[in-house]
Amino acid sequence: MNAVSPPADLLAIRGLSIAYGNKPAVHDVDLTLHAGRSLALIGESGSGKSTIARALCGLLPASGTARGRILFQGQDLLALPEARLRALRGRAIGFVPQDPQNALNPVRSIGAQAQEAARLLDLPDVAARRARILQTFARIGLADPARLYDAYPHQLSGGMLQRVLIGLAILPGPALIVADEPTSALDVTIQKRILDLLGALQAELGISLLLITHDLAIAAERAHDVVVLKDGQVQERGTADQVFRQPRSAYARRLQADVPALNPERFRAATARQPGAGEAIHVDGVSKTFQAEGRSVRAVQDVSFGVPAGTTHALVGESGSGKTTLVRLLLGLERPDRGHIAVAGTPVATDAPDRLRGLRRELQLVYQNPFTSLDPTWSVGGIIAEPLQRYDVGHRGDRQAQVIEALRAVDLPEQVLRRRPGALSGGQRQRVAIARALILRPKVLVLDEPTSALDVTVQAGIVEVLFRLQAQLGLTYLFVSHDLALIRQLADSVTVLRHGQVVEQGPVAQIFSRPREAYTRLLLDSIPRPAAASRESFLVDQETEN
Amino acid sequence: MSATTLSPPRPLAWIGAQPLAVLLAFAVLALVVSWSAAPSLFSSHDPFLGLTAQKLLPPSATNWFGTDHLGRDLYARVVQGTWSSVTSALIATLIGLAIGGLLGLASGFLGGWVDTVIGRLIDMLLAIPNFLLAVVIVSAFGFQTINVAVATGVASVAVFARLMRSEVMKTSTAVFVEASVLVGGRAAHVLLRHVLPNAYRSVVALAVLQFGTSILTIAGLAFLGYGDPPPAADWGLLVANGKDYPSSPWLVFAPATVIVVTVLAINRISRWIRHAA
Amino acid sequence: MTRNTSLSQAARRIGQALVVILLAYSFTFLIISVLPGDPISNMLLDPENGFTEEEIAPIIAHYGLDRPVLEQWWMAISRFALGDLGISLRSNRPVSSMLLEALPSTLLLAGSAMLVALLLALLIAYASQNLPRRWGQGVARVLPALSLSVPSFVIGLVLIQVFAFQLGLFRITQPNSLAATFFAALALGIPVSAQIAEVLIANLDHEAGQEYFAVAQARGLRRSQLFLRHQLRPSALPVVTMIALSIGELLGGSLITETIFGRKGVGSLVQSAVVTQDFPVLQSVVSLAAVVFVLVNLLADLLYPLLDPRLRRRDTAARDDTAERLA
Repeated sequence: MNAVSPPADLLAIRGLSIAYGNKPAVHDVDLTLHAGRSLALIGESGSGKSTIARALCGLLPASGTARGRILFQGQDLLALPEARLRALRGRAIGFVPQDPQNALNPVRSIGAQAQEAARLLDLPDVAARRARILQTFARIGLADPARLYDAYPHQLSGGMLQRVLIGLAILPGPALIVADEPTSALDVTIQKRILDLLGALQAELGISLLLITHDLAIAAERAHDVVVLKDGQVQERGTADQVFRQPRSAYARRLQADVPALNPERFRAATARQPGAGEAIHVDGVSKTFQAEGRSVRAVQDVSFGVPAGTTHALVGESGSGKTTLVRLLLGLERPDRGHIAVAGTPVATDAPDRLRGLRRELQLVYQNPFTSLDPTWSVGGIIAEPLQRYDVGHRGDRQAQVIEALRAVDLPEQVLRRRPGALSGGQRQRVAIARALILRPKVLVLDEPTSALDVTVQAGIVEVLFRLQAQLGLTYLFVSHDLALIRQLADSVTVLRHGQVVEQGPVAQIFSRPREAYTRLLLDSIPRPAAASRESFLVDQETEN
Repeated sequence: MSATTLSPPRPLAWIGAQPLAVLLAFAVLALVVSWSAAPSLFSSHDPFLGLTAQKLLPPSATNWFGTDHLGRDLYARVVQGTWSSVTSALIATLIGLAIGGLLGLASGFLGGWVDTVIGRLIDMLLAIPNFLLAVVIVSAFGFQTINVAVATGVASVAVFARLMRSEVMKTSTAVFVEASVLVGGRAAHVLLRHVLPNAYRSVVALAVLQFGTSILTIAGLAFLGYGDPPPAADWGLLVANGKDYPSSPWLVFAPATVIVVTVLAINRISRWIRHAA
Repeated sequence: MTRNTSLSQAARRIGQALVVILLAYSFTFLIISVLPGDPISNMLLDPENGFTEEEIAPIIAHYGLDRPVLEQWWMAISRFALGDLGISLRSNRPVSSMLLEALPSTLLLAGSAMLVALLLALLIAYASQNLPRRWGQGVARVLPALSLSVPSFVIGLVLIQVFAFQLGLFRITQPNSLAATFFAALALGIPVSAQIAEVLIANLDHEAGQEYFAVAQARGLRRSQLFLRHQLRPSALPVVTMIALSIGELLGGSLITETIFGRKGVGSLVQSAVVTQDFPVLQSVVSLAAVVFVLVNLLADLLYPLLDPRLRRRDTAARDDTAERLA
């Protein structure tokens, strides 16, 4: 098939429109990817970027219909009969999915699924294919490939699974890899490694890379060319450097302004917070061990920190760092094995339910996922009024006025009062959750990754609201996150956690500019830095051209 | 439910937006309910009056379902038997829903040793085949339609308890339930306002489904002769009487079709409650 | 360590199974012998049944009917544990020998019914995924719901009407012929197949929506390979669960099927025991049905780790995670 020298345009999409039933998802999109280069397709949820990736791999669901042309090595994929398309899939186009935990069949071994990819190679037998599989696994930096071959997906971590999936994608020697948000489900330090691996494969094997991402910083750091999508339409296209340095479309400019990694000082200048009197949160020598399936897991070990009233303190860590356990201990949802926690001067007494209930008037929580934290059978008005009713604050007419005031404070229109959460967007739901948390006028608000389920532009809006409310009400925030760039934007002090222990803590300015511990440096290094990267990709360009 | 409350102003438009099959199912159910409420309105024949000269007549304009071996109009018999067939299924469902629902609620919400004990009880009820359990209860308490209904209800307790338990456990661990505790909700408030409203829809869907299943089970028990004896006209009994006259197949197929159509309609409504609505 | 935990887990499951069997026996005892107020004595003393004093006395002594209820229960359950199922009130024969006579025919019927049910369910499930969308799949998806709305006795009567009376493929006067057995198995199997098919279709649909299905598709697999490896294989566990649960359905259903097709078996034994109020027979059949159900479900439980590697308890994820980070 590849006897003729491949055309310069490996992939050319022309006038592509895709609809699910009669709902349009992608409208009249053109894009071109040259052989050996990388192209990032950027967009937020609903932009149609994943739909394009799926159409490219022939994975559209039955309800999806595509018009236009997808020219791959000169053949129109949309016009090919299923049998020819199947031959192309896998062999010439490799697919790396978004969520590695779910991308391998859990009841079949890694080896069995690797054999499926390897059968596309012209190798004589299973043993030969196995040898090639092990060789590929070693090539992409997986230690002990023979053990992996016999393992099942649930025995591997997310980062390893993503490596395995990349291995399966490059095994048949494809000309193009389509990576659909390949790192969004992974911890930050592992994210960096996976992106490094994809970049290296692309450069060394001359494979073209179509990188689907919501993260402008990653795109600018990792791709030669960029296409920005919104609501299924192309907003802007160009080299990564161009789009990143001088975005021409309004949407790309807004994206650029809203990505935390690119704007470390965005909120710092706007707010002048005065620390109030005393400590709002005091955590002293707290430890917690869980018993699970006969093993004990030390979730939090001897953690201490204090937060001055009126400031924002951040807890940072990857999965398994103990940050969620710490939040639950603070709210009295779990009882510490050792140590002492006080909020606004009052101890968190897990053994006295009534005192705990009293304390929670001063201490509220905003959950990570607004799609699960609001009761779907309640109206928005009922949800926001619930704390008032439970604590019997004010009388009926009063409450209504307070609810409306809370809605205004989070920039929601009064019309949403009678709607149910199902009729709201993710960002609107999180605003409702914040309104519910603030209606009792608490002193301390715990924010558990409140924006990690949301798009960057929505995140920026929520962070703005949080800043304004803090300035107005003198709130103390405990902000939990894995996103260092975001923390750099909004926190005054930070505690870095790992395996349940404090790695280091102090003022944000100090930790970010002069980290003392290797782990903190590792975390900081994983923040994408497009300015530095554009030089590197320039070097890579020269290498491939020479 | 959320969709209904979102667009209350135009009920007619809302009805028009439902699938045709669902509207048809509701029409069937309405007809069956009317049959059982006022049988005499729907048939001019006397269901007990046999005219031996007119026995075993095939279906015709005067005798829609034909006549039986005693010359009674079969359509009138079917209409007359509706009340006891439908009411006994309703009683059975209510027994299962009440006992099973409470057991499942206690088990799922309280947890601990209560859950363990009730869990074993549910296992025990599941282990005895439903139909066999109903048969044993009826034979111990006597061959009457009311005993058949109670027996069918007891046999369905396990299904309700299991579903209620899993639904309550699922919603009890939902994030929004913990959120309610954090804003001051006490146990009773959480149970009544958050857990039950979120659990009830699938339980209602099961109750409707179980209503159909009970009609089938009760028809089966009546077919074996465990219900009220003739001249009672339970649907299952009509089929049983008809099977002795293989050359007059309408005696079997007419009441059988009524059972099938009724249960199909009920199942369709159950599916509608579970998914759309 | 892992061996020990899985052994102790198996031991716990077996203990639970024993408790459930004990409860099932006691519950049946409660219904038959306690709640209605000593129906056995009532039945024996009913002059219409024509028992003589000499016949009644040993039966009352055997079941301890003149003693307190708890003592009766203890006598009954100790005998049951030793495999003594009591004496029939009607035939005066040991219930165990009556059951042994009836069992082979019912096992044959139930076994073939399960086979028929599985084949039908697989066929319908395959059609629901692979036939042309509108007509083929649509029909395949409606079939289970449709057959679950038909009373099992109607299915039997229809089969007899069509295949015995109209087409003459078998005679109801020879209920044990091969053809008659096949149609009886079909009548008993259709409702079970509908249940299995519903579970299977729901799971196949679920698998088809999984990310790993799409990724395997992107690997260029053929439709048949996708179906077998990435749809059917991961659906095995819920289907095994459903099969184990439907054992009860088969045992209960054999009562009606055997009556309609005129077969001798456990079902017809129950039917005559009900009519003649032969309570020891009823108590034994119900308890044994519970034992069979519990054993089959226990077997299914022990089978799960073979079907899903995630249930084999070996937890290396945490260690590998650390390794990846340190690499």
